[in-house]
Amino acid sequence: MTFLRKLALTTALVAGLSAPVAAEDVKFGLLQDFTAVYTFVTGQYNQGQQDYLALVNAEGTLGDGNTVTAIVRDTGNQPQRGIEAYNRAKEEGAILFDFLSTPVSAAILDQAQADKNVVITPAHGRGDASDGTVFPYVFPMLPTYWAQAAALIEHMKETGGLEGKKIAIVHIDSPFGREPGPILEALSKQEGFEFQAFPYASPGNEQSAAWSEVRRYRPDYVLIWGAGGGQAVSVRTAIQNGIRPEQIHSVIWLAETDAANVGPQMKGVKRFEATASGTDHPIIQRIQEKVIDAGKGSGDQANVGNSYYNLGVATMAVAVEAARLGLEEGQPLTGETLKAGFEKIAGFDAEGLMPPVTYTAEDHQGGGAGRVSEWDGEKWVPVSEWKASYPELIRQVIEESAAKYAAEH
Amino acid sequence: MFYRLSGTYHTSYQADRKLWKIPTDRWLVIGLLILALLAPLYVSPLYLGSYVLPWVIWSAAALSLTLLMGLAGQLHFGFAAVMAIGAYASIHLVRAGIPFEIALLLSGLISAVIGAVFGGAALRVKGLYLVMATLAMQYLVDWVVVNVPAISGGAHATLRTPEVSFLFLPIESLASRYWLALGWAVLLTVFFMNVKRTSFGRALVAIRDKDFAAAVIGVDPFRTKLMAFFTSSFMGGVTGAILAFCFYRAVTPEQFGFNVSIQLVAMVLVGGLGSVIGSWLGAGFVLLAPIFLTNLVSGLAASGWVPVSQNFLSHLPLMIYGAMIIGFLLLEPLGLAKIYDNIRKYFLVWPFRHARS
Repeated sequence: MTFLRKLALTTALVAGLSAPVAAEDVKFGLLQDFTAVYTFVTGQYNQGQQDYLALVNAEGTLGDGNTVTAIVRDTGNQPQRGIEAYNRAKEEGAILFDFLSTPVSAAILDQAQADKNVVITPAHGRGDASDGTVFPYVFPMLPTYWAQAAALIEHMKETGGLEGKKIAIVHIDSPFGREPGPILEALSKQEGFEFQAFPYASPGNEQSAAWSEVRRYRPDYVLIWGAGGGQAVSVRTAIQNGIRPEQIHSVIWLAETDAANVGPQMKGVKRFEATASGTDHPIIQRIQEKVIDAGKGSGDQANVGNSYYNLGVATMAVAVEAARLGLEEGQPLTGETLKAGFEKIAGFDAEGLMPPVTYTAEDHQGGGAGRVSEWDGEKWVPVSEWKASYPELIRQVIEESAAKYAAEH
Repeated sequence: MFYRLSGTYHTSYQADRKLWKIPTDRWLVIGLLILALLAPLYVSPLYLGSYVLPWVIWSAAALSLTLLMGLAGQLHFGFAAVMAIGAYASIHLVRAGIPFEIALLLSGLISAVIGAVFGGAALRVKGLYLVMATLAMQYLVDWVVVNVPAISGGAHATLRTPEVSFLFLPIESLASRYWLALGWAVLLTVFFMNVKRTSFGRALVAIRDKDFAAAVIGVDPFRTKLMAFFTSSFMGGVTGAILAFCFYRAVTPEQFGFNVSIQLVAMVLVGGLGSVIGSWLGAGFVLLAPIFLTNLVSGLAASGWVPVSQNFLSHLPLMIYGAMIIGFLLLEPLGLAKIYDNIRKYFLVWPFRHARS
């Protein structure tokens, strides 16, 4: 009996010694809206995120047997459900959160900062959170709506000039729809164009009133700023009102589904993109091979390579890279070391899936580079290079807004 | 046997008018109140902050709405807007330097005045037409909040609540926020139970049952309906302020959207119109059932029970939730309060079958 006990103890000791650091399971809370407002994106986006994390675990990207697990919950875009999901995931050990919902992010931002947990807000949430000095634990990660507006305006400048031109911005009547306002205001003075805003009521199933006004305005370019079902309605109604597809430039929320809803007329419409679409990328092909073909995919295989799917992959690629760099600091990985990991990322491009991003303690947007792509009838074809447009102006707007936020508290 | 009646005699009018005539009821309420007061000591922060606290606040909101819909019979489908007015007013008042206690009252008053103005529609229209009028209020308030940066807080339309203290107690820790919310909800509960016994409460009921009959017996419909909107909006406005300061601590327009109004109506209907206990049960059900179901289904999925896509997984709790609402309303159209009442009546005479009442 004594011998057996000794043997057991020794074995335990040896086992303990041979593995000096226990493998760690990093937890990400993907607490998103699958059932209410953001349904147009969440399904594919989250599928990309989960599939990429499966790839990370299959390839051992985090090293030393470390793995990453996603805690996925539906919040229905309701802040009180988001708060519950956040608190629960926090107890389960999650250190990074992605809510993909502006109201939920807003309700949790302060709490997460106090808890020193990283919140990523790719393509949603406050743009001024890009100022890492005011929002140390928030990472907008991809170009803010301000940077997107600037990129589209710069593309117009390069393709047809801006001097004396007229731009119509047709947007959903919400804070999100009004985001490009300050950028247009500043750039119209600098570049000498005029613009006018035409809001339509949320959710945008019916926009004919706004577009008949646009028709009277006779714009040279049109910016559409909405999301979900309203985007296809925008494109369709624009074309009915004599706007050519080539004139239409969209915010990031225009994808393959919208193109299918609009039909063949869609050819020529341009949009901003933060990540490349399609399956012709090393990461996506490895996901196909090691995750999807292995039967470990988290959703419909047809979605792989879609714009929103790739967007999800890119967000997790950056987050996992941050976790990998953070783990170099030592285990266990906490919100603080994860934040430090983010700020070590320099020139990371997810093997070409996205423009190279660099995060610093000041810049949590990662440079704000993106490009414009055009729908050719079957897929999105890039028509510009990856670059950041008017970065000084964007930075100035970010800092002004963040300073205002900081001054209020 | 459980709700012992023997030996309970009321020998004075005062004793007969007690709120809880049966000792068991009284002890039950006292016990629950003590449990609620001590909740921060034995409930984990997760459950206190994400379940109990919102439940208490939404119960207060449901009580405010059921005063209008249950007692006075005036349908209101824009109650979230009333709460929004209270929330935004209180934040701006505190930021302007007014003490929190007074700001709470003032924000209630502001909601009450605006709510009563829209309630003016009730003087001319009833039923579904009143629903339309209150919906208009919802959309108008939403529009004003979103389109006036001075109210919504600028570009991102998020306003953080300033640090405040209530009667020298700093409203910062979870426990202090919970106690403030609980205090307000208990106050509303006691008020609601008593208002039913006042002439004002009886006038509301008379208006609900037939307004011109009420006019014939001397109840002024004009005054009573406006008072109903005023009182209910005051309660809703302060509840909105409590919601902002004690729970969200950062307000955005989406927190008070149309879907929240519908949720509030659902709380009142599922709980039981015009019932105190129904407001508490209805708020708990509508607020917490989706959360419990989501966690339950996710737990089952994690253990490999339901191997389905995330999309289906997210919608499954909603289907169960919908089925539960239909089920409860089929089983007992008068709401959860009536289900509780049936159980109580059963135990009132148990082990016998029939009660006198």
